[in-house]
Amino acid sequence: MSLAGTTGILEGVDRGPVVVPRRRPRRRSYLPYALLAPSLLFLGLFTYLPVVRVIVESLYDHPHGTGAVTATFVGLGNYTKVLADPAFRQAALNNLVYALGTLIPTLALALAFALAVQRSSRFSAVLRTVFFFPSLVPLVAAASLFFFIFLPGIGLLDYYLAKIGVSGPNWLGDSDIALWSVIGLTVWKNAGYYMLFYIAGLQNIPRDTIEAALIDGANAWQRLRYVILPALLPTTSFVVVIALINLLTSVDHVIVLTRGGPSNATNLLLYYIFQAAHENFEIGKAAAATLLSVVVLLAISLASMRIMSRGSHHEA
Amino acid sequence: MRLERRLWQALGMALLAAVAFLWATPFLWTLVAAFRPEGAGSARMASLMPDTPQTLENIRNALESGAFGLYYVNTFIVVVGVLAVQCVTVSLAGYAFARLRFPGRDVLFYVFLMQLMLVPPALIVPNLRTIVDLGLYDTLPGAMAPYFASAFGTFLMRQTFLALPRDFEEAAAIDGAPWWAIVWYVLLPMAQPGLVAFAIVSVTAHWNEFLWPLMVINDPAKHTLTIGLAAFTRGAEGGKEWGVLAAGTLLVMAPLAVVFVAFQRRFVDSFVFSGVKG
Amino acid sequence: MSAISRLAIGALALSFALPAAAQTKIDFFFPVPVEGKLAREMTRLVKSYNESQKEVEVTAVYTGGYDDTKLKAQAAAKAGKPPAVVLMSANFNVDLKLSGDIQSLEPMLKADGATRDAFLADFWPALHANAMVEGELYSVPFHNSTPLLYYNVDHFKEAGLDPAKPPRTWAELADAAKKLTKRDGDKVERYGFTMPAGYDYLGWLMEALTLSNGGRYFNEEYGGEVYYDTASMLGAARFLEDLIFKHKVMAQGVVEAGGVSTSFFAGKASMMLLSTGSLSFIRENMKAPYEVAFVPKNVRNAVPIGGASLVMFNGQSEDSKKAGWKFIKWLSSADTLGGWSRFTGYFSPRKSAYDTAEMKAFIAKNPDAKVALEQLPYAKPWFATYQTVAVRKALEDEIQAMMNGKKKADELMRPYVEQTALKLPQ
Repeated sequence: MSLAGTTGILEGVDRGPVVVPRRRPRRRSYLPYALLAPSLLFLGLFTYLPVVRVIVESLYDHPHGTGAVTATFVGLGNYTKVLADPAFRQAALNNLVYALGTLIPTLALALAFALAVQRSSRFSAVLRTVFFFPSLVPLVAAASLFFFIFLPGIGLLDYYLAKIGVSGPNWLGDSDIALWSVIGLTVWKNAGYYMLFYIAGLQNIPRDTIEAALIDGANAWQRLRYVILPALLPTTSFVVVIALINLLTSVDHVIVLTRGGPSNATNLLLYYIFQAAHENFEIGKAAAATLLSVVVLLAISLASMRIMSRGSHHEA
Repeated sequence: MRLERRLWQALGMALLAAVAFLWATPFLWTLVAAFRPEGAGSARMASLMPDTPQTLENIRNALESGAFGLYYVNTFIVVVGVLAVQCVTVSLAGYAFARLRFPGRDVLFYVFLMQLMLVPPALIVPNLRTIVDLGLYDTLPGAMAPYFASAFGTFLMRQTFLALPRDFEEAAAIDGAPWWAIVWYVLLPMAQPGLVAFAIVSVTAHWNEFLWPLMVINDPAKHTLTIGLAAFTRGAEGGKEWGVLAAGTLLVMAPLAVVFVAFQRRFVDSFVFSGVKG
Repeated sequence: MSAISRLAIGALALSFALPAAAQTKIDFFFPVPVEGKLAREMTRLVKSYNESQKEVEVTAVYTGGYDDTKLKAQAAAKAGKPPAVVLMSANFNVDLKLSGDIQSLEPMLKADGATRDAFLADFWPALHANAMVEGELYSVPFHNSTPLLYYNVDHFKEAGLDPAKPPRTWAELADAAKKLTKRDGDKVERYGFTMPAGYDYLGWLMEALTLSNGGRYFNEEYGGEVYYDTASMLGAARFLEDLIFKHKVMAQGVVEAGGVSTSFFAGKASMMLLSTGSLSFIRENMKAPYEVAFVPKNVRNAVPIGGASLVMFNGQSEDSKKAGWKFIKWLSSADTLGGWSRFTGYFSPRKSAYDTAEMKAFIAKNPDAKVALEQLPYAKPWFATYQTVAVRKALEDEIQAMMNGKKKADELMRPYVEQTALKLPQ
């Protein structure tokens, strides 16, 4: 299998079309487009139309206000402005820390949970429920619960930490810790969700592979390292993709918990754009920031898509 | 040897139970705090030990603050509506990309992928304008429309179709079955695991959705759960009524918990044994 | 003929002219300061209004906090669906007027045959500045506040302080806070002083401290000028810095308003600066005895006005303009305002609301409600600038960095002055 070149993710299609009946050759030219039409219609309306608007807006300096219409063309001025904004650079850095800081523990925990509860017993069923339940709670609701959990001095965390003689930090108010608190909430919320995918992945590993390893005298760690993890690669790549999209596109908890503070310590790119566009009405700047982050995010998602298609080919 | 192994097993179980307890504490607290007097806060507000006497005051206040039954119905409509349309768009597009060869296919595929990162929160104002032009402002379809096409779903279905053997389709094609019959009777039944995986991702995403419905919907009769809940969680100046917040969250979670616990086995099992793969 | 009776006759004529008079439906966006409870009360109020008359049907839309409400209302306006009436943070008027979102209320006054001066005469003088933009009336005050010092009487007694003599100066505040702070080794069991430092609240309290330090936060005459690098502002920042790092009587880092009131209830903080708007909430939930006092001064007694006013968005049909104005007049009547004030703790912007028997009885029973009124003569306008939220955030980010020990008070702001150098549209 070849994964080289930019069309690597399209690989596999070239085995050729089979379904189009030869008797109706004229259908051949229209059918694919007709099948794509409904999707393209909605993509056009809600992805490309706004993006075109945003691109155009990013090249202009917009005077504040709905009444004014006299935007001046500034070329790439908004882009240099955004790149020079320390808040933007911090948001980008925060986003990186947030993405990695969340992804790695979430995946590790999801796998650990899956391994622990994969067997079908009453105890496992209870545990699965407990681990999975956070993902059923809307993020805004979870965030407001955690607002209490993180409350300095009185909240759930500090109250019980005090019982063992530890005085907790100001979880959301300390600029060194706030982002990690947000990460903590996200891990708690998502680990059980990805656990489900891992349970599914584990079920698909043929029993005889593991038994063979057992007969070879592999211990638990070796079985995990050399048999289970490689077999779970497709699942992992799938989970990485949905997790990344999930991480980069949700800000509800930031809005509820910290609004990006203190001093932008928890400001993420999406929230930065949101603020620029809706709080400050710096439309040009918001547009430029959107495009800049889209380029980066697109690169990430293409890369992960490629990993994912490699994953599914492993299996196929 | 056996004894040692059992010991390890017991230790593992205990550790697991401890982690599970930790995981559940936010919910335990919600349950206790919803019935706790002094809902605005006391030094013992965080305690997981239920208080005596209990109070129903918080629950009553929460029920007065929002029509939770209505919120459930609205959320259900949005989630199911989005999924229903997505299943159609995503299967058709996934099929086209997986099985058909046509000019511009690669370009169009990238056109789809772009959508992955362009989520409505980043495009609220231009999207709102479109929704108003379509006459969908302040309606539930307005809250759903931007999600009708899904790059993720298209990609997932394409992968699923690619992994299916072609023998059946070829046989059907030779028998003269039209393309839609092949998709409907041959491919989709085999692609069920992919659809199930996509459904789960889609439903959880829209169940959690907050910002976009907040922007599109005004009418209190059309509020979804997340917007209804925000009435407890977003204030301007001053205080938090923790008891009412806990009660509101509990009202949102309780029906879910009941349903989930009742169907847990079936839900997880069908998910697991439908063989959801990557 | 009075404006009201003329309107009544007009309404009567209208209802005869159109027997099946089409109801005008309008949206009313409102934020609430205390979660849950006040949203319920507002919904109840609007329902009673809808039931009391036939011409206007108001849909009350709860829109979260002050900033959220601005955001949602402006997004709706941009999308072509402006709400008729919005209860908006009182300092957003300048920004909203400059952006062309809200309309002058002068034509409505004129249609009623009223003059601006006559209309404003019943509102406290301190509120006039925030109600107007460039000499025209743009909003009607609905509920207003000033910051207050709340303190725990039991803690005062325990620390040997006289609860009848709350700290009146910054020096006295620091002194009292030192006595009130309880330590166990390195750990602080109870802080002497606390105040909300999340976005929005912090800017307002910094204005309070700067004003008390004899300074100004912004140029009242020109919405594009703020005084973030002045000696009086930096002095206020230094005062906070001392409370946190020198005297260690205030927690390091940022605590949001919800955390501040909760720690006051729980006896984990002895004094706090908080809005009068939370007074009823505190009164209902504070188990220990507490008192309220003026914000302590360094140079002079001075506090900013806070709260929210009713504005009307542009882009309304004539009918919904009329309906919106009618609703505003009902919401801002002395009776409604008095009831809302008693329910919330905000003071009523109308003086006449205090002449009613109900209000007199209420104040006699709750003397703490009087303190905000007594502080009113010292009240100054709330900062209202071009791009209020962004300009405010520039200051808040700096102060938060200082509260986290990332910057010294003396290093604050200077680099930010350039960034917030504002360009007003000419």
